[in-house]
Amino acid sequence: MEQREFSEDHLDILRELMNIAMGNATASIADLLQAFGKMHIPKILISDMEGLHEYIRSAIPDNQRHYVTKQLFGGFFSGEFLFVISEESALNLGHHLYDVTQPSDGDILDAVVELTNILSATIISRLTEELNTKVQFFVPSTDLIAGNDLISPEDLLNYHSIIIINTRMEFQNHNINGQIFILTKDEMIDSLKALIDRKLEELYA
Amino acid sequence: MVTIPYPNILLDALEIGVMIVDENFDVRYWNQWLEINTTIAASDIIGKNLRSFYPQIDYHVFARKIRTTLRLNSPTFYDASLQNRFIEIPRTKITTSLLRNMQLQVTISPYVPEESLVMVSIYDISDLHELKLTQQSQMHKIAELNAELHRDKMIIDANLLIAKIDTECRILEVTRAFVEFFGYPEADVVGHRLGFVFGEEELDFDPVHIREAIKRRQRWSGEVKAILSGGERVWFDAVVTPLSEEGECPGYTVIFHDISDKKRIELLSITDPLTKLFNRHKFNEVFEKMILRRHWDNARTFGLIIADIDHFKRVNDTYGHQSGDRVLMSVAQTISETIRTGDVLARWGGEEFVCLLPDVDLAKTQYVAEKIRKAVEELHPEEVGSVTASFGVSVYVPGDTQESLVSRADSALYRAKTNGRNRVESHQP
Repeated sequence: MEQREFSEDHLDILRELMNIAMGNATASIADLLQAFGKMHIPKILISDMEGLHEYIRSAIPDNQRHYVTKQLFGGFFSGEFLFVISEESALNLGHHLYDVTQPSDGDILDAVVELTNILSATIISRLTEELNTKVQFFVPSTDLIAGNDLISPEDLLNYHSIIIINTRMEFQNHNINGQIFILTKDEMIDSLKALIDRKLEELYA
Repeated sequence: MVTIPYPNILLDALEIGVMIVDENFDVRYWNQWLEINTTIAASDIIGKNLRSFYPQIDYHVFARKIRTTLRLNSPTFYDASLQNRFIEIPRTKITTSLLRNMQLQVTISPYVPEESLVMVSIYDISDLHELKLTQQSQMHKIAELNAELHRDKMIIDANLLIAKIDTECRILEVTRAFVEFFGYPEADVVGHRLGFVFGEEELDFDPVHIREAIKRRQRWSGEVKAILSGGERVWFDAVVTPLSEEGECPGYTVIFHDISDKKRIELLSITDPLTKLFNRHKFNEVFEKMILRRHWDNARTFGLIIADIDHFKRVNDTYGHQSGDRVLMSVAQTISETIRTGDVLARWGGEEFVCLLPDVDLAKTQYVAEKIRKAVEELHPEEVGSVTASFGVSVYVPGDTQESLVSRADSALYRAKTNGRNRVESHQP
C-alpha cells in the first residue's frame, strides 16, 4: 500500500495528533467508564478499497463474531469511525458497565455504542480540535458480524482512496480488546492535507 | 451573538421530542411533540422528576450517558435497535404497521453544561426501521435466490457443455464440463476459434452454418463432429443462441450434447458389419436420391459399377468362411482406396459390391472399374493366394430408374462372368 499524496511530514503530524487523541480517549474512558487500559500507537495508511479489505482481513481474526459499530462524522473533514470488538470482549464490556452477570443483548449493544461514543467523540473531536475544524457526529449503528468481512458491498462502492488509522485498545483487567479504524475517502484526503498544512504553518510560524 | 427570544416556540415547532433534564433527571422542558405523543402535559411534568413518570428507564445507564455528554461536551446516543432502551411511546400515526410502539432514536446533547443540563432529542424512526426490516427481508430473499442461482450455475458448469463465443466464433468462456470433456486446459480453449478446438482442419467440421447463423443473428441447431484432446472423435448436437435477442448482441452461447452413442447406433443401421461399407439399405437410399437429382442429362451423368468376386464359393469351401470374410474385407478396402472421396460404395450382398460415381461418363466409369479390377488382382491375400473380380458397368441415361440402371449393370456383369471373369463389361441402351 503506497502512502499516496501524503508527505512524510504530513504523516508525522497525523501520527502525533493521533497519539494525543488516543491519550485523551484513554483518559476519558478511565474517567467515564472506570476502565483503565492502553491504546497502541496508531498505524496510518493510505490505501484503496482492496487494500482496506486486505488490511482488515489481516487485523481481524475470521474465526469469531464481532460487534462492528460504524459512526459517520461530517464537516470539512468527514469520514467513518469504525469500532470492532469481539463478541467475548463486548460481553465483558456489557458485564462491566451494567454490573450484571448476564447482560442482555440490548445491554451489550448499548455498552458497545457507549464505548464507541466516547472513543469517537474524544479521538475525532481532539483530532479536529487540533486541526482547528469542527465535525458533526451521526447516530452510530452496530451489527454483529461473523468473520472479518466488515465492509458491505455497497460501502465498497463508496470508497476509492482511504486513509486507514488503526489502533488496538486493551483493558486487560476487564479482558476487553478492540480495534479502531478511521476511514475517509478521496476528497477528504485533500481536506486533511490542507488542515495539516495549516497546522504545520502554525507550528513553524 | 443573537439571542432567540422565544426558544420554546422553536422547540415546540420541532417534529421530534425534546426534553431538557439535569443530572438528577429533573425535567426542565417538555416540548409539544412529547405532550402530544406521550399524553403527559408539559405543565404536569416540568419541575418534577422523570423517575415518577418513567420508572422503567435504566437510570444508572442514563446517568452515565448524561455524564459522558457533559464531560466530553459531545452528543451521546442510545442504541437504536429493536429493543427500546429509553421510554416507550405508542404509535399514534394511522398505519397498517404491526409496530405498536415507536422505534426511537435517542440523542443526548449538552445543553448548559455548567448547570449540568442536557437536551434529550427523541426521533421517531419507525418508518425507517420498518423500511430497513423490509429491505433486510428482501435482501434475505435475494440472497436465497442468489444461492439457488449459484447452485444451478454450479450444476450447469459441472454437467453441461457450454461455450460462449463472440461474433468471430472465438471462445470467450466455457463451462468446467466443456473443459473436462474435451480434455484441453481452459487457457488453450478460451481465445481460440471454435473450429480450432474442434479440429476443423482435420475433420469435415464445418462451422459455416454457425457462422451464417451468427451473421443473421439467428438461432441454429445441428450436428457437428469434433476431436477430443485424446484423439477420440465425437458427435454433438449443437444449439447456437444469441445472448440477447434484442438490440446489441455481444455474443452467442453454444450448447453441445454428446450424441456419439446415437451416431454409433445410426451408423450400425446403415453399415455392413463385416466390411464397414454402407449396407444395401443405405445404398438404395443414396441411389434413389441421386436418381431424383434434376441436373442429370445426356451430357452430365453418373456411373454404376457392380463388382462380384470370382469363384468366391470356392474360397469359402476350400479355406473356410473366416478366410472368405478376410478376402471380402481386403477387397472392400481395396475398392474404397481406389475410388474418389465423393463416390458411394456399398456391399450389395454376399460377394457383390456396388459403386456410384457422380459426374462421370461411360469411359470414365469403365476406367475406374478397370483400375479396381487391377488393384484386386494384385491383392494376393495370404491364405488364398490370388483373387479376382468381374465388373458390370453402366451409366445413367435420362428416364432411367434405379431398377433399369441396376439391370443393365447386372447384365454387363453376367457378360463379364461368361466371357471368362476378371474383366470389365459395360451395357448401355
